[in-house]
Amino acid sequence: MASVDADAAGSNGTMVNSAANPPAPSPDRYLVIDTVRKEFDGFVAVDDVSLTIRKGEIFALLGASGCGKSTLLRCLAGFETPTAGRIELEGQSLIGLPPYERRINMMFQSYALFPHMTVEQNIAFGLKQDGMAKAAMRARVDEMLSLVQMNRFAKRKPHQLSGGQQQRVALARSLAKSPKMLLLDEPMGALDKKLRSQMQLELVNIIEKLGVTCVMVTHDQEEAMTMAHRIAIMEQGRIRQCAKPDEIYEQPNCRYTAGFIGSVNLFEGRIDKDEKDFVTIRTSAFPDPIYVAHGVTGFEGMEVAMALRPEKLRISKHEPDLKHNKAHGSIEDIAYFGSHSVYHVRLDGGCKVMCNFVNMKRWDSESFTWNDPVWVSWGDLEGVVLSS
Amino acid sequence: MSANWQSLRSRLPGSRWAVISVPYLWLLLFFAIPFLIALKISFAKFEMAMPPYSSLLNWEDGFLVLKLRLENYLYLVNDSLYVNAYLSSLKIAVIATGLCLLIGYPMAYVISRMEPATRNIALMLVVLPSWTSFLIRIYAWIGILKQNGLLNNFLLNIGLIDAPLKILYTPAAVYIGIVYAYLPFMVLPLYSNLVKLDRRLLEAAYDLGARPWRAFLAITLPLSKAGIIAGSMLVLIPVVGEFVIPEMLGGPDTLMIGRVLWQEFFNNRDWPVASAVAIVMLIILIVPILIFHKSQAKELEGRLA
Repeated sequence: MASVDADAAGSNGTMVNSAANPPAPSPDRYLVIDTVRKEFDGFVAVDDVSLTIRKGEIFALLGASGCGKSTLLRCLAGFETPTAGRIELEGQSLIGLPPYERRINMMFQSYALFPHMTVEQNIAFGLKQDGMAKAAMRARVDEMLSLVQMNRFAKRKPHQLSGGQQQRVALARSLAKSPKMLLLDEPMGALDKKLRSQMQLELVNIIEKLGVTCVMVTHDQEEAMTMAHRIAIMEQGRIRQCAKPDEIYEQPNCRYTAGFIGSVNLFEGRIDKDEKDFVTIRTSAFPDPIYVAHGVTGFEGMEVAMALRPEKLRISKHEPDLKHNKAHGSIEDIAYFGSHSVYHVRLDGGCKVMCNFVNMKRWDSESFTWNDPVWVSWGDLEGVVLSS
Repeated sequence: MSANWQSLRSRLPGSRWAVISVPYLWLLLFFAIPFLIALKISFAKFEMAMPPYSSLLNWEDGFLVLKLRLENYLYLVNDSLYVNAYLSSLKIAVIATGLCLLIGYPMAYVISRMEPATRNIALMLVVLPSWTSFLIRIYAWIGILKQNGLLNNFLLNIGLIDAPLKILYTPAAVYIGIVYAYLPFMVLPLYSNLVKLDRRLLEAAYDLGARPWRAFLAITLPLSKAGIIAGSMLVLIPVVGEFVIPEMLGGPDTLMIGRVLWQEFFNNRDWPVASAVAIVMLIILIVPILIFHKSQAKELEGRLA
């Protein structure tokens, strides 16, 4: 059952109680970030963040630029020391360890490949620091080169490679030392859109094949949704929600997450009737109250927001045969994306809603055009009630 | 409109030529012609005349005769004074360049890692002494280094030495003077190279397990190679022909080719030998000049890539 209460519990479940003694390390508590805080001259970049990351998980920190996600990643890598809080990997504290003593490797934004070294020298660099024997090093470098399918380019310098190839080398370099954890800083930031979607899946395949635990930072929600097993949405140094991609999308726990991931229609209103198995919400957007077919934690008169994804709305020329959740309006704008169109419908109440329509037929005679009078409607369970 | 455009177009190639020709004209007037004159004189014979050398072209029995005398060059090779002076100049220049690098690299490194505001002040301090006359600054070192100069008095006062040190008129004074005078030429190219170093490369090195010193040796140092070469050549090339510093701070035994050249020209008034000395010095310096050019071209290429 979807409810505001369940959402809050979902995100609390991933948090660590700082007062309790740390339990023995388990695969579920592989990386523990406990009330980590980072301040720069009074500016709080990371504000008491707590997270636990499972072994083998691909975890994404998602947020707009300046939300503190990169600072948190740099705390994990050891480039920044948290002002307060604990970071533990397999039960061992990382605080105070310099980056060169952590078994964590990072793939840097725009890769930071050493320009004066060849591809194989770049990959061997980390192994060399460990004093690995020549023959073993050769074998390991070859293994990494085949993993990312870059054997042919072993003798090239980074500037002779394309963006995608550089990324493969960067990945191989960060995986060569079999790190306990892999950090990815905006992994696709330097690639064009087409290559990006291809590399996203390839990267996930490689990471999952090796079973390495991975924390990535990105501002691209599509990237986070495609690659990560779990996503934490950060805003102003805090975690707003931490859940699986589909949960984040279908059950945002606050207005910020709902608006940050995908597009959403948000209607502000108040709880009109609060019953055990349904509630109605009165908004200024619709003449009739919105009907939600489940109970919520709240009280009559409480201010809430109704979040409706555009693809959950149906658009039709004739009035749908529904008791609730329908409104009449006219089409004001049309954004055509090929695969689907987004209709911006001005409701009779004055409010504007976005409504997706999948273009299943090539030339649809039923299609809508500007100023068409239409009905929009949605199912009783398709909206999310947000209290924060 | 179109007529204007036509006239502009017809004038453009001309004006472009004018812009390009300026540096070439400069090189022609102040490098090529003086060089050719010196080359010409180096093939002539010393004469008590005005000018004090013979002419190369003579009219003999209806023939126009061009006589290129190589005796000046043979003289340079056979007289050990000149060979020693060249070797000693090169030795002093190489050692002084090494000292400049040892002192200048840490300076440039620290400056490149300063906050932009303090960085500009530090760079200013490096350049500021050049605003005073070179001659006066070298002269000031006499006051510092002499028997009862500032340095000796200071060391005597703090009790570090019992008797004044003899520094002035020794090779040490020459090195001090050269390093002091040419340090900015080392620091500035190194700085402009080091300041461009991508810090994320160092972070990547730390991340891969390199301690700071290893990261410096593996990343910073090789990537600053172009700056090291540029700075070294900018010091080495002028120091080989340096005259003022060995003349003012060095003793009579400080043999440098610049001094020899001065003596040949002004004391012996032997223009042909002096010219030959200068030409040979230029030939010796062509090697470092070529190295310098190659590194500059590579640097430029790297920046474009």
